[in-house]
Amino acid sequence: MSTQHDDADDDVENPPLEDRLYTVKYSDSGESHLDVTIPGICAEKCTTYACQEVCPADVWEVPDGDEPPHIAYENCLECGSCRWACSHGNVEWEYPETGNGVSYKFG
Amino acid sequence: MTDEANYDGAFDAIVVGAGLAGTAAALTMARRDLDVLVIERGTAPGTKNVFGGVMYTPTLRELVDVEDAPTERYVAEKRYGILSDDGDETAVTMRPQAWNDAPHNDSFTVIRRRFDEWFAEQAVDAGATLVTETTVTDLLKENGTIVGVQTDRPNGAIEAPVVVLAEGANSLVSEGADLKRTDDRKDVAVAVKEVRKFDRDVIEERFRLSGDAGAAYHYFGDGAVGDTVGGGYIYPNKRTISIGVAYRIEDAATRNRSPEDVLNDFKHHPAIAPLVRGGNMVEYSAHAIPEGGVDAMPDLVHDGAVIAGDAAGMVLNNGIHLEGTNMAIESGYHAGDAVADAIEQGRTNARALAPYEENVRNSFVVENLEHYDFFHELIADDRDFLFEDLPRALADAQREYFRMDKTSKDEHVSRAKARMLDATGGWFGAAKKAWKYRKVLS
Repeated sequence: MSTQHDDADDDVENPPLEDRLYTVKYSDSGESHLDVTIPGICAEKCTTYACQEVCPADVWEVPDGDEPPHIAYENCLECGSCRWACSHGNVEWEYPETGNGVSYKFG
Repeated sequence: MTDEANYDGAFDAIVVGAGLAGTAAALTMARRDLDVLVIERGTAPGTKNVFGGVMYTPTLRELVDVEDAPTERYVAEKRYGILSDDGDETAVTMRPQAWNDAPHNDSFTVIRRRFDEWFAEQAVDAGATLVTETTVTDLLKENGTIVGVQTDRPNGAIEAPVVVLAEGANSLVSEGADLKRTDDRKDVAVAVKEVRKFDRDVIEERFRLSGDAGAAYHYFGDGAVGDTVGGGYIYPNKRTISIGVAYRIEDAATRNRSPEDVLNDFKHHPAIAPLVRGGNMVEYSAHAIPEGGVDAMPDLVHDGAVIAGDAAGMVLNNGIHLEGTNMAIESGYHAGDAVADAIEQGRTNARALAPYEENVRNSFVVENLEHYDFFHELIADDRDFLFEDLPRALADAQREYFRMDKTSKDEHVSRAKARMLDATGGWFGAAKKAWKYRKVLS
């Protein structure tokens, strides 16, 4: 049901995520402000991948096999949802420092 | 902040975050002749902030000249629509003529990047010092008392008698210093917003607006946010339209509904599509909303620190009222006022700062949160009824009620009634629900 109206001929533009992210002014610190606390928890205990489910910007990608998620921190919109979503409390979240990260113009 | 500046010990109070709560606190303290340092992690106030779109200004009006504020449109119309995922809409819309006259029911759409920067300028004009691009990474503690902040700048420790934590929903500093526990994911919503640019004429024709009149459209039901607890909204600004959805992180995590999918489906709903089609996307944004109500609020007062605004969970969402901006400003004002009193008395422990918590509890902020607290339980008990059965029953009932055929109106009415009673569990169920929900409107 997640695509119930996707075939609708209604002239509504739903751009791909990369186009959406492209609209966000962003400054890269060169260093991820996100991490996992204990990689083993993602690999061995996690079956729900809540980080990946909730993220509005595809920051988290859980690979097949026993690996922790890949983190595309430069996509991050800084909502923080992954931090609450992870039922293992395994998301390390820091504010990007010295003015880096997103700079919203229409927030 | 320049590397040479030495702010350590130079201030009476440090405010973490130049959003609504932080700036209201800073302005209040600066006017009471305190030396105030506001630390903002963005490149300017408002660059890290996202909201739906309505600034409620009753408290703001008492602090600054609202006529000078960079507002977009005043809210001249409110619309509440219930959407089924079959494409039905049942809506109530209101346009009281009085809202067209100043002070416009103290409700304006704004763009936070512009508004927050302007508001922070008012605090700076009153004497506060604002530094941007500086992140508070931790609090300084001595014998359990908070004595300042650690920042990401060289020699970044800055001591001051009081810290006002107004860091927003993602309150890493307060949580890191054990002043607040991390909220349950049931109590926090993920929100995504898309802003699209249009010609002014298109917006005004589409939403039946003239001059600076605007509108606030709120939507519920499984046609708005699918199988989740939340809602969607549309706010026309001057030359842009803000379109967004917000729903519980718990549902995003467990119901296989990504925020982007939910937003896309909302925009395609037959009742929404004609309002949002065309134009150019100018920004996509996301934020978290603390919705746990009064029970999820942390202790507001600590030795050497107070917590205000979203960081303190001061957001009201009972389905009808969606408010946070007014509560942030009100709590910031009370925080600033209580800190100034405490500094005058030369004591800044939790006891000296306690009037802040007292004043917030006696204000509309906590009174409203308490009054509508039952709504959280209701949502948990009745989510299928509220978000799935009701939208469909309303659509079916109106179709029966207004059906144009050769049966009598009596027959239409009784069919419509039957459909509603079916959804609400008969007369007894309907009466019970009416009783349960009476407080939403009272």
